Amino acid sequence: MFSKVLIANRGEIACRIAATLHELGVRSVAIYSEADRGALHTRVCDEAQLVGPAEAALSYLNVDAIVAAAKERGADAVHPGFGFLAENAGFAAAVEAAGLVFIGPTPEQIRSMGDKRAARALAARAGVPVVPGAEGEDAAALARAAKRIGYPVMVKAALGGGGKGMRAVASEPELLEAIESAQRLARSAFGDASVYLEKRLERARHVEVQVLGDGRGEALHLFERECSLQRRHQKVLEEAPSATLSAATREAMTAAAVTLARAVRYRGAGTVEMLLGADGSFHFLEMNTRLQVEHPVTEFITGIDLVRAQLHVAATGTLPFTQAQVRRHGHAIEARIYAEDAARGFLPQAGTALRVRWPHGPFTRVDRGIEAGDEVTVHYDPMLAKVIAYGSDRAAALARLAGALDSMRIHGVVTNQAFLRALVRAPDVAAARFDTEWIEREFLAAFEERMREPAPELALAAAAIAEAAGEGRVRGRPARGAAPGAPGAVASDPFATLGPWRHPGLGPA
Amino acid sequence: MKTTWRDGDRLRSVELSPQGGGRFRVSVDGVERDLRAESLEDGRLRLTGPGGDVVAEVTAAGSRWFVRLGSEEYVLDREARVSSRAAATAGLEAPMNGVVTRVLVEPDDEVKRGQPLVALEAMKMEHVIRAPRDGRVRAVHAAPGAMVQGGTALLELHPETAA
Repeated sequence: MFSKVLIANRGEIACRIAATLHELGVRSVAIYSEADRGALHTRVCDEAQLVGPAEAALSYLNVDAIVAAAKERGADAVHPGFGFLAENAGFAAAVEAAGLVFIGPTPEQIRSMGDKRAARALAARAGVPVVPGAEGEDAAALARAAKRIGYPVMVKAALGGGGKGMRAVASEPELLEAIESAQRLARSAFGDASVYLEKRLERARHVEVQVLGDGRGEALHLFERECSLQRRHQKVLEEAPSATLSAATREAMTAAAVTLARAVRYRGAGTVEMLLGADGSFHFLEMNTRLQVEHPVTEFITGIDLVRAQLHVAATGTLPFTQAQVRRHGHAIEARIYAEDAARGFLPQAGTALRVRWPHGPFTRVDRGIEAGDEVTVHYDPMLAKVIAYGSDRAAALARLAGALDSMRIHGVVTNQAFLRALVRAPDVAAARFDTEWIEREFLAAFEERMREPAPELALAAAAIAEAAGEGRVRGRPARGAAPGAPGAVASDPFATLGPWRHPGLGPA
Repeated sequence: MKTTWRDGDRLRSVELSPQGGGRFRVSVDGVERDLRAESLEDGRLRLTGPGGDVVAEVTAAGSRWFVRLGSEEYVLDREARVSSRAAATAGLEAPMNGVVTRVLVEPDDEVKRGQPLVALEAMKMEHVIRAPRDGRVRAVHAAPGAMVQGGTALLELHPETAA
């Protein structure tokens, strides 16, 4: 095993990786930007190093600075997390060129799966069905192809993925503007304006298979996750197993994913995303060459720590268990907590998380990137945490998740909590009657209507009284947890970190 | 003491008369009730009315107030005075820090409710500011490429005129 690993990421995923490293007795090195000075991920790691200014391009995406930090700190491996450089072949190559181990697939595998057009070709060659599509630079040619494939179509960034840089187009008049907008976003987000078209499969479900390969042609799967509950192609709730998959379809999908992983001699953890039609047919969507945001639901149902499995493959070149040893039990559901205002078009929010109380309780896991007193900046993705609940069956997991979301309190930054609470109580969610467009088609309008209802008088009375009484303000800068670099430091009790504030009587002054 | 609060699209008023001993007469949008308030720790207030008591958790972040009642969270913005400029720019502020990518209107353009006016890019996403109502553009304060702070007025519409 490694002795020291640098985590090339921030937020909740950096904290989550640090937890496994700590458990294995491997020292962890956090990196941070100037905007993240003192952030939770720097506090839970054994060491922390500044790599650049707030702007991600100069810090968390700064290959040279991160590789230099790994060398300087004496790390023997680098874990990229997800997002940022996790699927950047140049970064993986630079890590390896520096004589360090990249905890992930080979640069070549990242490159070929990262180009969604090349990935489609690889999947087709491995016998995994792909969605009909077209590629090319010329918008007029793409328009002709769209006509041939038939509307609606999706316009996707070739180097995108994870729902980023993609857009649905219902008819020809919208196509050119959609291509132009997708190209512009693709250029700014991925540094390459290439886009491609895919037929839009309607009422499809998103089911993905977790795979693990040894890099030498052996691979296995850890069952599937269903992530059909999406808003604007961003996953909102994820679960394992899928509630609706037949045994035969599960067998076929997992076998297809393993076939693809073996065909490319895949190394490490990866996810083969597929669209599942109402008729049980499935099509390859993309392969993500990294740990997924939603990996905890797989961990809950299999009892396998995926980060530990990644470390094992990276350190030994072998798989840590056999296919027969991968069993599943029960059901797990994850909700992503975002700093966004669901009442105002889901706009990303920034600010200080003044008072934070995370859910706790049996079979409830919170992978978090902030504690009370931490800043939520505009510079990075607004995902703050993930709340994951496990139950012996789906209904039990859903009820537990609902309770956990009820108990969560984040004051200081608006989150999507109300949206998630409403979602987990929707009858169609309980019945698993949904597809990737269900939220926007059937849920969102009624939810937004409810959000427009006035707050109860008591809420206004409470705010006005608190203001008049000098209550409600968190005085001074809330103390953060331990300083960066403290061994095994974990954020302390938020109730103890709020610092002193006035506690006046409520009578007239 | 009278205060005004923004609750979503609504402006709501609260009038507070302290009665001593932590008791208040509170009028919310003209509806009165008597409450006794007791300050607990961690921003919590126990509010006791004729029907019983409830614990509210209250946190202020600048002018924005977070109020939790039971499992429900409410976000209220404490309003200063409403000026004519505020009326002209209402709904036309940058929702967050970002970069202006496109400006789609010019002064004196007639715009329809819902029409895209300015596009911003922030956190890798594009946000389009749309006209909150029909009207005529009075001024444009945004230029493509400009960094803007959340809350900055990006443009102004002529105030609504009575028909």
